[in-house]
Amino acid sequence: MREFAVRLLQLDRRFIFVLMSVVTVLPLLYPLGLPVRISPETRQLYDTLERLPERSVVLLSLDFDPASKPELYPMTVSLLRHAFARNLRVVALTLWPAGTSMAESAVTHGAEEAGKRDGTDYVFLGYGPGEANAIINIGQSLTNAFPTDYAGRKTEALPVLEGVRSLRDIDYALSLSAGFPGLDTWYVYGKEKYGFELGGGCTAVSAPKFYPLLQTGQITGLLGGLRGAAEYETLLNQAGKATAGMDAQSATHFLIIGLIIVCNVCYLLSGRKE
Amino acid sequence: MSLETLCGAWLAVGLSLCIYSFLYRDNPFFKLGEHIFVGASVGYLLVITYHEVMLKKLAVPLIEQHEWRLIIPLILGLLLLARFLPRLAWTSRLTFAFILGVSSGVAIPRLLSSFVLQQVQGTLKPLVTVGPAGISFGLAELNTVLILIGVVSVLVYFFFSVEHTGSVRRVARVGSCFLMISFGAAFGYTVMARMSLLIGRFDELILYATPEYGYATVWLLGLVTGGLVWWQRRVRQAETQAPPDGAE
Repeated sequence: MREFAVRLLQLDRRFIFVLMSVVTVLPLLYPLGLPVRISPETRQLYDTLERLPERSVVLLSLDFDPASKPELYPMTVSLLRHAFARNLRVVALTLWPAGTSMAESAVTHGAEEAGKRDGTDYVFLGYGPGEANAIINIGQSLTNAFPTDYAGRKTEALPVLEGVRSLRDIDYALSLSAGFPGLDTWYVYGKEKYGFELGGGCTAVSAPKFYPLLQTGQITGLLGGLRGAAEYETLLNQAGKATAGMDAQSATHFLIIGLIIVCNVCYLLSGRKE
Repeated sequence: MSLETLCGAWLAVGLSLCIYSFLYRDNPFFKLGEHIFVGASVGYLLVITYHEVMLKKLAVPLIEQHEWRLIIPLILGLLLLARFLPRLAWTSRLTFAFILGVSSGVAIPRLLSSFVLQQVQGTLKPLVTVGPAGISFGLAELNTVLILIGVVSVLVYFFFSVEHTGSVRRVARVGSCFLMISFGAAFGYTVMARMSLLIGRFDELILYATPEYGYATVWLLGLVTGGLVWWQRRVRQAETQAPPDGAE
């Protein structure tokens, strides 16, 4: 038994990679349909959007690049679907230069799907340079920070921005963040001064740092990683990429837990001191 | 399907597989994918910055709308480039001084307020609820007590002015447990994030394995695997033919 445990501990790590690939691919090909439970922070974000009156202004800051697409893109799709279904005005932008085209494509597809008109129901402002300074700029004057939108039209003349002069006129701001600048930047340089409602989504890696902000009520609602996106899709009754990925997520987690247990048992059986 | 989409799919699959080939070992396919990624990222950033910042936020307002105040950031930006001219390099310090001064002035009060004062305020909540029905203690209050114990014990753990013996040691041990739990949660979330990225990539690889995309994943997986086998054989041959260490 001890010899077997020692051999197992010396197993080539590439076997684990193959095992992980198989466990990831199988649920994607043959979905298990495991239930998705809604967490309070996801429910809070959903309820906040639900409470907004029609034609309220939602600012959606897509602060991520293609590297975080699997986690944050499904959130973007769900939030746009929800906002458009509630007939809210969407003002989208990005603080990440590498995410500009992807953000524009996400907003345009979401709007086309919902039959919304560019410039009237939504606008994509493009990339806001300067990280925190961009937020301060928008806080002072949105039209000064973005004299033109991504398509080059003057923002002053856009019906979607009627009555929106600065961040003070935003009803709910959402930042989908993969790092800096992101949700915390929007809180520190935006909400703290201009006092709008702020929520958002983030990659699972950064989720733990936002829970203290959620706990103290500094932010309203949080979608954490692929799980948060799947929960939101469940709330909207529109299963998408995130829900499909949750089976694979659960399967890989089971495998990792199993590997940790097996390795520890083998370690004990092998009688190693180090 | 447009040729553009099809080419994009094949390129995406090929580069993904090149990067994943690193799981076998470092190889030329991985290096190719890595270098293309770095080059494309930098190129894309340059184009976006030029179009969205230099043109839309500087050149157009300055030249067409005569917003002369933009000359100030333009000069400050140009001064940064003076780093490349030894005689004028000192002028770049003006820009750095401006950036540091403004950034510190803006950031310090906001960060203190957001991450210290507001967090302290959130920690100092009543431990029990006093209402018309008397004093009550529910799950919310239990949460507050746990947060209080966590904050105090972790602060004690990092308080090194007093020797950690006796009751201080016991409190610090509790703090250490809280820290371990938070590290575990953070690691769990990290695993979840990495798995999500893998799932996202595999999801697309499966999509591109369909006839609609000309079985891109299948063909390119075969090509990369075959290439790896050929490269591995060449490396082994080179190793067997090479003279042993120290031989001339």
